[in-house]
Amino acid sequence: MGHDIFEITVNGIKLVLIFLLMVQAVPMLVWLERRGSAFIQNRFGPNRVGPLGLLQLGADAIKFLTKENFVPTSAKKALFYAAPVFALIPGAVAFSAIPMATPVYIEAFEMFGQNWGPYRFLVQGYEIGVGIVFILGVSSLAAYTILMAGWGSGNKFSLMGALRASAQTISYELALGLSIVGVIMMFGTFNLTEMINAQQGPLTFKWMEYTVTANWLPNWGIFFQPLGALLFFTATFAESNRLPFDLAEGESELVAGFHTEYGGFKMNLFFIGEYAHMMIASGLMTVFFFGGYSIPYFSVADVQAWALSVTQSEMSASILSALLHFLSFNIKFGFFLWTFIWVRWTLPRFRYDQLMDLGWKTMLPWALANTIITAFIIYFATI
Amino acid sequence: MPLGGVLFITVFIALFGAFLLWFAAKVGAKPTYRDPVKFEPYECGIPSVEKKDTKINVKFYLTAILFILFDIEIIFMYPWATTFRDSIATGNGAFVFGSMLIFLAIFIFGLFWEIKSKALEWD
Amino acid sequence: MTADAFLFWFLAIVTLGSGLSVILLSNPIYSALSLAMTMVGISALFVTLNAYFIAGVQLIVYAGAVMVLFVMVIMLFDLKSDTVAFAKGKFTGALKVASVGLLAGLVVAAIDLSKGLIGVKDGENHLVALGDMEATKSLGRILFQKYVFGFEALGVLLLVIAVGAVSLARSKGGTHEH
Repeated sequence: MGHDIFEITVNGIKLVLIFLLMVQAVPMLVWLERRGSAFIQNRFGPNRVGPLGLLQLGADAIKFLTKENFVPTSAKKALFYAAPVFALIPGAVAFSAIPMATPVYIEAFEMFGQNWGPYRFLVQGYEIGVGIVFILGVSSLAAYTILMAGWGSGNKFSLMGALRASAQTISYELALGLSIVGVIMMFGTFNLTEMINAQQGPLTFKWMEYTVTANWLPNWGIFFQPLGALLFFTATFAESNRLPFDLAEGESELVAGFHTEYGGFKMNLFFIGEYAHMMIASGLMTVFFFGGYSIPYFSVADVQAWALSVTQSEMSASILSALLHFLSFNIKFGFFLWTFIWVRWTLPRFRYDQLMDLGWKTMLPWALANTIITAFIIYFATI
Repeated sequence: MPLGGVLFITVFIALFGAFLLWFAAKVGAKPTYRDPVKFEPYECGIPSVEKKDTKINVKFYLTAILFILFDIEIIFMYPWATTFRDSIATGNGAFVFGSMLIFLAIFIFGLFWEIKSKALEWD
Repeated sequence: MTADAFLFWFLAIVTLGSGLSVILLSNPIYSALSLAMTMVGISALFVTLNAYFIAGVQLIVYAGAVMVLFVMVIMLFDLKSDTVAFAKGKFTGALKVASVGLLAGLVVAAIDLSKGLIGVKDGENHLVALGDMEATKSLGRILFQKYVFGFEALGVLLLVIAVGAVSLARSKGGTHEH
């Protein structure tokens, strides 16, 4: 985590901060979702508590806290309580590996009669060399949350819901994993920062010895992997159990799925877990296909040079450039989060057999086709 | 090494979540109405009858097994995808590409055989 | 104690503890969950060896796929009667003695084999020198150029397993064919 006590402390605080940012983003997203759905369906949505209904978030939190702590007699207590806590972990651990801005340099300074630094802090929890594999691996652990909750409740509806939810998650994990093989092939790395660096500058196609450059478009992955992007984004909807793939719930046959017996704050933690999956999906979409934190038309080096010319000091220049890139990342990130909400209130939901058919018989073959086409193009373009 | 950070945040979230649950249980309303029926698991109408052996569709197991197999095949494509450009640059492109095409042919054959044998059919 | 040594001991204790609870817990579900925890611990131990890709694969395949299947299957069976039958059966006495003997033999052999290695610093861990991505790339190069036959054979093997699983599910007694 670091070489001396200062670096370790800052990195620790950074990790906690990223986690808390994720947690506090959830009520805002819930507000956005309720207002957005009301807008889409021509309703008002929450508008009574505070201006624009913004204080609804606080009211909801207080309501969650003051609910009675209910545990059914049939529940296995240890699993019943462990599942909601565990729901938070994979999301936050995976999200911390996504780079959100350029690193911040801290010059050497004196404190407590000692010389510290210079330091270089990344604007992400930790940099992992094999970023994609790590994120996929950690988020695949989310299936345990569902199974623990479903079995620990001691309820048939919960168990059936957990079974369906985990069968759905694992089915779409295949399409998810296969759709990014093309991306890996294109960039030749698992490292997310290297991917962002490869997406700088104007759009450049290379074919044999010809090079076509389109100055009016950024060099984003979406222009090279449109099918991969579509498949990836669709699969993440199913991974996070969002509509139109929320087959884990079903009022008529399953009640509320694996969290039938959960209420109050325990339910809230599951909610945070679900939104964390949305955030990982949006972050990965940004990094793979939309240039990550980089600002279109300006490469990272350009922005850093400009920041240096404005501030005249390396430390403040790095902070300025980190802020600008963080803003750019958040605009893209927020757009995909909004897309999640938008799709939820636009598309009808699937039937279970349609869901499985889509995953196994449509998305998996198309992801395979995408891999093969990408391999052929790369082979003949660079040979 | 990022491992320390991963462990730190995992332990932190576990403690934080446990604290939140404890706090919510402490602050939350105390049950005033105690009836054994209230603490029964949710059921529509009639009380739940515990069956000795629950019959679950074999599809779920089959899906999980096929998922493992395909997952392993996909994982093998990852190191291949990272080295593909390098192999082309060093002149081994045709061999590496050919070996992956054979592997993919087996993969596709397996997938279409399963679709054809109606193993992935849900009703 | 350095940070690396602390991490290693922490992970080793967690991994071994969850490994032990696999066999010590009487409820098969808790055993399966402990086994999943063991897999995660082993994956973290791979990271301490700088084998990042293998760690990720361990996480995706073993913790994220194989153990999910195990947990799923065990949760769906009512295993109370089976647990009792297994713990109090006819053969269990002999089985227990045999298992303890085997375990003791393994422990003794492991200590004997690693006696010379304890205290030896890794002067030439090639993976450390390579860096994260280079290690994965060299794995890819070796796998797809030198051991390509094994790789293709694995593809065929996985196909055979898939065919076997499907035909087992379709055979008599299954609920696949109505």
